Order: sequence, then structure tokens, then C-alpha cells
Amino acid sequence: MTVIYATFSRMKIAIAQIDPYLGNIEKNLKRHLDLVEEAISKKADLIVFPELSLTGYTLRDGVPDMALKPGGDTAFNKLIASSKGISIAFGFAEEKDPGLFFNSSAFLSGGKTLHIHRKVYLPNYGIFEELKFFGQGRNFHTFSSPFGKTGMLICYDFLHYGASYLLFAGGSEFIIVLSAAPGRGVSSGEGWASSYMWELMGETISRFSQSFVIYANRVGSEDGKSFAGGSFIYSPAGQLLAKASYSEEEFLVREVDIQEIREMRRKWPYKRDEKPEIICEALKRIVAGNED
Amino acid sequence: MKIDTAFVEKILTNFIRDELHRFGFEKGLLGLSGGLDSSVCAFLASRALKPENVLGLIMPYGESFSGDVEDAGGIARILGIRTKSIDISPMIDAYYKSHPTKNRIMIGNKMARERMSILYDHSVREHALILGTSNKTELLLGYGTIHGDMACAINPLGDLYKTQIRMLAGHLGVPEKIIMKPPTAGLWSGQTDEEELGMTYEDIDRLLFQLIDNRKSHDQAIAMGFSGEMVKKIGTLIRNSEFKRKLPPVAKLSHRTVGHDFLYPYDRD
Repeated sequence: MTVIYATFSRMKIAIAQIDPYLGNIEKNLKRHLDLVEEAISKKADLIVFPELSLTGYTLRDGVPDMALKPGGDTAFNKLIASSKGISIAFGFAEEKDPGLFFNSSAFLSGGKTLHIHRKVYLPNYGIFEELKFFGQGRNFHTFSSPFGKTGMLICYDFLHYGASYLLFAGGSEFIIVLSAAPGRGVSSGEGWASSYMWELMGETISRFSQSFVIYANRVGSEDGKSFAGGSFIYSPAGQLLAKASYSEEEFLVREVDIQEIREMRRKWPYKRDEKPEIICEALKRIVAGNED
Repeated sequence: MKIDTAFVEKILTNFIRDELHRFGFEKGLLGLSGGLDSSVCAFLASRALKPENVLGLIMPYGESFSGDVEDAGGIARILGIRTKSIDISPMIDAYYKSHPTKNRIMIGNKMARERMSILYDHSVREHALILGTSNKTELLLGYGTIHGDMACAINPLGDLYKTQIRMLAGHLGVPEKIIMKPPTAGLWSGQTDEEELGMTYEDIDRLLFQLIDNRKSHDQAIAMGFSGEMVKKIGTLIRNSEFKRKLPPVAKLSHRTVGHDFLYPYDRD
């Protein structure tokens, strides 16, 4: 990572807080390619789209018709080709193996697919029914991106702090969250009552993992659910750097200082003092039901 | 129970606009009764779409409810939306001439369904989608006519309690006279909801908010100070009206059945 710090310290992050067309990959692909162009013209190094940005969220039985094979579909390949001068994180329905579908996100950069994350925590309560239509991902990986160690989470993954911990333990410097979180509660204060929990998690995880947290949520409505927007970027110091509207589309571009990761980790050596091996052993004992 | 009315307006106008445009519609229509809910819906629709893209159908039964008809016309004038008046008495009278009854609720339901049928007819004539006006209180209590006033293409008001609709109305600038009017289903002349239910909307909504939004049990609600009688009555109304909130069950035979495991979104692009 020191090589990267030596080469540059500032980068530009773009978040495309969009309202995808439900079940229309062609129109969504065009939107993606246009926004990638716009991000490049604004000299952004990374553009992040929301969860299932290429398909819309409420696919239900439409998942098999909308699912793509990474690298094996025209839409996917066009996005790969568009990533030559920029990094792109986007969401799609994936057919990993014949008949096996996942709610996935891809990280593309330099004309290559650097990583695919398959959503692990599929919400299946209240208004959610993802377990009916998707298989569960089984891992949280970090990978090397052009600006540092990076990990991706999808929506409900991020509300389980163990997921962020695993990225932190895996060396994350950038945690990218692709989301399609519906707004719930209009009781008081600005925007959705449910937005606070995402922001609280964003602040907490960024501060204690000393990573940038980039949260891209969507807006618009599907079957009466309105998605809550409010995309944000938190710095490794836990500072809110940018936040988008709770109801409208927005194209957020923000320059950040990568050196902050190093500065925060020198000042507060959480990363140095972290003990994943103890956590791992303790978890094994808990899972085995033998806590002593 | 308090709502951020400006934010709610934004979400609901976006909802109306997005839903209509998604299905290729520019126009919306709704039945204008001169009451609070349809007035609020008309305000939202005229802001979401252009006023000229909203049609309010005023559908009185003969000369009764003439005050409400005037109020409905007044709302339309304030907003600059189009209106059309259709007297439903010839259709209703023709039917009851051959099938007479003294049951006021039956007649009221028939009128609600006549209005529904006119709305759907105009939905095609005008290439406009029907905006529903049933609020959360009515939906939960089943205080509406199935396939009547509950019928619509989209419902912007269904997650707002009656008292929250009043708050929203104040923010939107609905005339005070409409906000203060005693709510009525208009089933017969002089009928008011609160008299028929034997409770005020304010009390009902406070209880529903605890039972539904806060997921309190009946016992917890009683411990909070609601009377046992009221909790029981409201609980019964909710339970007995589930059929009004669902499509009817389909008897499953095959491997894949409409309403069971043929699952697609309502919306599409």
C-alpha cells in the first residue's frame, strides 16, 4: 500500500444515486455508461452505483430473466470495457452457475473485473423476501484496487457489523456499500427515520475501521416502497464528507485525501492492535457451543 | 404520529408522478367528494402532475349532499384541475326500482360501486390512472366499500392515518372548512364516521398507531390507558376486514399458481 501513498494522495469518488428502471437492463446499461462518461469527464477515480443498479430491486420471479454471467454477457462486457480509465462498482443479478442466482456487485477497473461480492445477509422479513429469490453469498473479501485495499458490502450486509469487521480484519481501507434501502418512518426530523441507522453505522464503521465508507443508495419507488437515498461518504476519521438527498436523484462527486487513512492509523492504532486470531478462536468456541 | 409534512409531500408527489409515467400515463383522475381525503389527494396530484392533467369526477346522487358538491367544485377551482359532474341517481334508482331495499348500507355500497365503475370507464376514456383516496385508518378498519371507494390503480394516502391526513392538509393549504368538516363515508345524508364508529378519529388513530406501528398487544394498549371495549372493537374490525385488503385466495392445483408462486412486481419499466 505504501507504493500507492507514494504515487498520489487525493482521489475523486462519484456516487450515482439513481432510480433504476425496474427490469430493463438495456435502459439501465445506457444510464450506467452515460454516468461513467460523466464521472470520467469530472476526473473521478471511482463511481459507485446502488444495489441491483442494472436491474432494479423488486425483481421477484424475474430474477432468472435478468441475471447476468460476469464476463459472459454483452451488458457486463460493455461495462468492463467502460472501466478502462476509471473504477466502477455496480449491482446486478448474477447467475453464478446454471440456475444459481445471487444478488451481487462487481468492481471493475482498468478494463478488468477485480472482484465480485455476493450478498450474504439477504433480508427476509417484513417487506423483504430476498431469500425466496436469491442464494446466499458465503464470504467477505478485500481486494487490491488502484487506490488501496477495498471491500464491498450490499445493503443489509452493512447492518451486520461483523461483515465490516471482516473487511477491516482483511485490511480494508475503502468499504463500498451498494444499497437499495427503502425509507421507513416519516415521523419527525428531516427525511426518513430509518436513514439514521445507516448514517450511524457509516460514522461508526469508518471511525473504528479507519476506512473510507462509501454508501450508495437508490431513490425512486417500486411497488409502493420509496427508496431512501441519503448516499454518503465518511472519512477514516468518522467525518461526514458528503451526503445526498433523501428523495431525489443526485450525482455526488467528492475529492478525498487518502493520506487520512495513514494519519488516523498512526494516531489511533486500532488496526495495529487488532487481534483477529483471538476473535477467530473465540468465535469458533461460540459456534461450537462451548464458550469456555 | 407527527409527520414531516413537507417531506411527505415530496415523497407522495414523486410516487404519483413515477407510477403514472412508468405505465405511460400523463394524467390522473379521482372521485372528488368534497371531503378531506379526496381534497388532499387532488392537491398532491395537481402538484405531482400539471393541474390540467388531473380530472376530478364529482358524482352526487341527485340533489343530496349539495354542500359537498359545492366544496368539491371549490377545491377544483383553487387547483385549476378539470372536473366533470355525473349524477348517479338514474343508475341507482333503475336498479332499486326492480330490487328494492331499505338497507342504507347496501344502497351506500351500491353507490360507491357505481362511482367506481364510472371512474374506471373514465380511466380508459381519458387515458388516466385512478388515484385512490383510502387512508390508513379506513384500510385497517375496513371502513370502505370493497370494489367501491377502495378500488384504484395507485393509492398515495394509504399509509397515512386520518389525523396525519389532517396535518398534511394544513401544510398543503387545503381550506380550513374542508379540514374541519366531520368525516363521512357519504353512505346517507347526515351520516358521520365518528358517530357510526362511536369513537373519534383521534382516539382511533392513537390506538392504531400503538397496535400497528408500534406492534403493541391488546393488553399493552389497555395498560396504556385505552379502554378494553375500544381495543376489542378495533381489534375485531381489523381482523374481520382482512378480505378487503387482499386479493381473494386462488385454489391451488398446479405447480405454479397466480397469487401463490407466480410472483412479479406490480411495477415495471
